[in-house]
Amino acid sequence: MNQTSDLLTLRSVSKSYGTVPVLHGVDLSIRDGEFLTVLGPSGSGKTTVLRLIGGLEPLTAGEIRLDGQDISGMPINRRPFNTVFQDYALFPHLTVAGNVGYGLSVRHVPRKEIARRVAQALELVQLGRFAGRFPAQLSGGQRQRVALARALICQPRLVLLDEPLAALDLELRRQMQEFLKSIQREVKTTFLFVTHDQEEAIGMADRICVMQAGHIRQLGSPHELYYRPNCEFVARFFGENNLVAGSLGETRGEFRAIETALGRLVCSVAGQPHLKAAATGARGFATFRPEALRLAGDGDAENRLSGAVADVAFAGSSTVVTITAGGDAAQRLRLRFPSRVEGSALRAGETVALSFAPHEGHLVLA
Amino acid sequence: MIAPPRLSTILLAATTVLVAVLLYSPLFVPIVSSFFPVARGEVDWSSPTVETYVALAGNDEILSALRTTLVVGFCTVVLSVVGGTLLALYYHGRRAGRSALQFIIFLPFLMPPIISGLALLIFFREIGLERSLLTVVIGHTAFVLAIVYRTVLTRLQSMSRTLVEASYDLGATKWQTFWRIILPNLSSAMVGGAILAFALSFDETMITILVTGTQTTLPVRLWAMMRLGFSPDINALVALILMFTVLLCALAARFLVPRQIATQRA
Repeated sequence: MNQTSDLLTLRSVSKSYGTVPVLHGVDLSIRDGEFLTVLGPSGSGKTTVLRLIGGLEPLTAGEIRLDGQDISGMPINRRPFNTVFQDYALFPHLTVAGNVGYGLSVRHVPRKEIARRVAQALELVQLGRFAGRFPAQLSGGQRQRVALARALICQPRLVLLDEPLAALDLELRRQMQEFLKSIQREVKTTFLFVTHDQEEAIGMADRICVMQAGHIRQLGSPHELYYRPNCEFVARFFGENNLVAGSLGETRGEFRAIETALGRLVCSVAGQPHLKAAATGARGFATFRPEALRLAGDGDAENRLSGAVADVAFAGSSTVVTITAGGDAAQRLRLRFPSRVEGSALRAGETVALSFAPHEGHLVLA
Repeated sequence: MIAPPRLSTILLAATTVLVAVLLYSPLFVPIVSSFFPVARGEVDWSSPTVETYVALAGNDEILSALRTTLVVGFCTVVLSVVGGTLLALYYHGRRAGRSALQFIIFLPFLMPPIISGLALLIFFREIGLERSLLTVVIGHTAFVLAIVYRTVLTRLQSMSRTLVEASYDLGATKWQTFWRIILPNLSSAMVGGAILAFALSFDETMITILVTGTQTTLPVRLWAMMRLGFSPDINALVALILMFTVLLCALAARFLVPRQIATQRA
């Protein structure tokens, strides 16, 4: 199937609970076969998006289209989507096989056929031996896989996953991330995965949709979101970042200057016409990742910053240095570099000169 | 750390034992004395016997009262389980008038039985309904409905909302969801409520006395026997009823423990 065709489209979808609006005219297209992650802090409306698509809640305004057909009014039990709930919602009185086969059984699929497909689905999630157990007799990771098998067996067009890994411990969560991704590739079904955990999002998603306060802030590949955030919120929320406020200056080729309290900084605007076109003097931020920042050498003419080391934190594979720049305690910069066995040469209180390459700098408008 | 307050611990323990003995030991007196014969109003402690039980088994009045009690209990249980479950579902569905409904359900349970009984008696006379086993069943059902209602409602409220959502999500209709997901998850609460309802109906005396016709239930029979004077049969009967009630309560407790906990312990 064509990877870029749209499976599901949300058009100016709004949702209010009573008089409290939680979604403000959201537009979103989900491509057939992709793994799309909706990422946002709690209260951003990400779970609401999932519940509206699944049919668990009615829309307040807007429409949802499946293959171009409006399905906004279609009842939940007729939508070709299945959900993996955050608490798994396994039926406690049914066995694993009973749970997985439920979706077929309520559609009056013949028993033999159900048995065959249940066995297949349990094989897919590597739970063949557990068919006769009850949910209470399973571990968290196993319940999770039963919930996934139960959702996949109906061959849905779209699988909705509502923070399904939140209840698992770190190690299991990593395993399940890989597992989910490999299953998704195997069954070639579209997955819509909701999470507040950006590591999860980066690890699994083809595309990420960042939400905040009922709005979609940015939709793109993990790489795009990381290196080309389109607003202050995404720049701060998605991954660790350095932001320095200022006003935009002149554009020179693929680069544009920004005048900040720390001096003039030059950042790349390649392929971003809206940044080139923004008025001179407009408020904005220079952003650069902690791993792009380094101790300045003599040859670095541009983007020189100086500050005092406030803290040196060893974080395993990398070491993070916090620097207060420009004599302003509120302007903190972070510098991340690979850890060495002999430890960092930097000491708290020391004054250092820093720099980042212009092509690693990025601008966002305030 | 605070040193263990020894004197107060001892005092507390002594008080607990004293209260327990004073309150609950009378319950064991009839059980013990039912195994000893009574001669001229004096208990003869020297020769244990099961004569009283034999005499009880041969007492047709008591046996017929027991039969009546069982019939009334059965009918009450069926009516109150069906009614209580439906009312709990209605309340849980956040439909109109739910608080008023709940108040009415609890009223007969909380009111003094003599008031409930009199109210029913007056009502039956007004609508011209003969006093019979039917009126007894109606009286009992009004009284025990609250127990089944509360038990089922508690289970409904502890059931995760997502179970129902998951059922719809997997393509089930409302009816399928009710029969295949909601009802099975309520069943143990319904059984527990049924046992409690039966135990209450079994013991109920005041309402029964007021609304019964010619037939009489076991506690009413017991009441009548007491008025004629102290007899060893009474001890045996009290002992049996006591043991039966304890058994029912233990059974009910077993069904009302959530399934999840039960399987985890297994």
